[in-house]
Amino acid sequence: MDSLLIDASLLQQMLIGALLGLSVYLPLRCGQLSLATPGFYAIGGTLAALLSTRVPALGGSEPVYPLPSVLLEMALAAALAGGLAAGIGRLVLRLRGVYLAIATIALVEILRVTTLNQESLGGAVGIFGIPQPFLDPEGYALFTLLALALVCWLCDRLERQRLGRAMEAIRDDELAAACQGIDTDRTKLVAFVLSAVVAAITGVISAHFLNSWNARLGNFDASITTLAFVVFGGSRTWAGPVLGGLTLTALPELLRPIGDLRLIVFGLVILVGPLLLPQGLITPARLRQLTRRLRRRATP
Amino acid sequence: MSSTAAPLLQTRNLGVRFGGLQALEGVDLEVQPGEIFGLLGPNGAGKTTLFNLISGVTPASSGEVLWRGGAIHGLDPNRIARLGIARTFQNLRLFQSLNCRDNVLVGLHRQARLPWSDALLGTPRAHRHQRQLLEQAQELLELLEIGHLGDQQAAGLSYGDRRRLEMARALANRPELLLLDEPAAGMNPTEKEALRHLIRSLRERFALTVLIIEHHVPLMLGLCDRLAVLNFGRRIALGTPDVVRNDPAVIEAYLGGQP
Repeated sequence: MDSLLIDASLLQQMLIGALLGLSVYLPLRCGQLSLATPGFYAIGGTLAALLSTRVPALGGSEPVYPLPSVLLEMALAAALAGGLAAGIGRLVLRLRGVYLAIATIALVEILRVTTLNQESLGGAVGIFGIPQPFLDPEGYALFTLLALALVCWLCDRLERQRLGRAMEAIRDDELAAACQGIDTDRTKLVAFVLSAVVAAITGVISAHFLNSWNARLGNFDASITTLAFVVFGGSRTWAGPVLGGLTLTALPELLRPIGDLRLIVFGLVILVGPLLLPQGLITPARLRQLTRRLRRRATP
Repeated sequence: MSSTAAPLLQTRNLGVRFGGLQALEGVDLEVQPGEIFGLLGPNGAGKTTLFNLISGVTPASSGEVLWRGGAIHGLDPNRIARLGIARTFQNLRLFQSLNCRDNVLVGLHRQARLPWSDALLGTPRAHRHQRQLLEQAQELLELLEIGHLGDQQAAGLSYGDRRRLEMARALANRPELLLLDEPAAGMNPTEKEALRHLIRSLRERFALTVLIIEHHVPLMLGLCDRLAVLNFGRRIALGTPDVVRNDPAVIEAYLGGQP
């Protein structure tokens, strides 16, 4: 990667983007268009900000915030978001297509407005001075890279297994999937909970990296942005949202001159992407083609 | 409950109403284990609707469906599938974006269960398990003579091959009762004859009971042990092929009555 163009700080943001892309991808793999990712991301971020600034036992006053405390925050955020997703999922996953999308947008808005009006959660001002477990962006990038690698590995395992196949089957034809003995409600719920967990741990990392946290970080714009990652990258395999998250986060920085046009670019991607590449940039078929070509080149 | 002559599947006074349309009314059927039981009837007679009621796709408005004497109406399709009832669809509902092998692997869902720790870590046991599943899938594809199409996407298959893949997927469920909805549609006479032999051999091989809908009357008369004929949502005849062939109500439904 060109170190002149992409510094560790941007790399860190790109990795966060890739993680959020994976969070949107998981429900989408079973055909569920959930835009709740920023909501669970905000839960993780707010939880990390509160714990690290208000619970002295975690070591917030030390010069370097202890890493075990970050891991503890991630575990708590995962449990909180996962539990909430399991409860809400039972209700909202009965909705289909665009109605599910609307319900999940509502969830994101409820969480945002609640945080905004609740002084104890940071209110309109937000929470500042979140302690730093790493002193430079390189440390954050390495940590996030490890987290991303772990989530990618889990997704890869998932896709090769029974549950991953069941998810694809539900996406293609929910009724036919049910007639194969697949518990479609449960499978969709599992995907929704996994999505929430990934978003929440990403929020924890993000809160420390950003140093401050406020309600605006989990809003409707973020829903659309993270959706664009998956639409652009492809929703057939985990590599799609990762690539989408990395490129679409880097793009506005690399195209700094157009600055505020970023949202227009995202809009165009969502509009033009499905027209030109209905399945996104990365599809299993294209991946197979690529590996075949690489293998041929390796053994001339 | 389980005397030797107990029916595997039974419907009692089964009916369903869609708004003002009584699609099925008072249908009584008993399917014995090991039988090939045919459903005949003109278009719109309610044959597929009956399949939908049995497989839990459509809820019944009245009456009951009994599986080995126990009520199953009102259960979700996935519960009914797990009891051992598999079906194909008249209008073909394959997983279009998956290849043929994966379509059958989804059908093997019930047997693909593996402790999550093995699945996650890719232990030797998980590999062995995966290999067995792939072998089973290939075996089923070959049984339906589409063994060479494993890598082909379902959406790109010919009509006949799609029907075969639907049957392979349904068989992958390892059902005791197989519901076949017009498996011969779009097949030529030679293929229909081959299908007749195939269904009989599948019954022997998997100890199946088969409930089959088909419009091709000669095929049905040659294949089925017993037949029921539906017309306008009611059962108008029931019995062996010889009985049904000579039933005046059937002749009237198919050829029209005396003026």
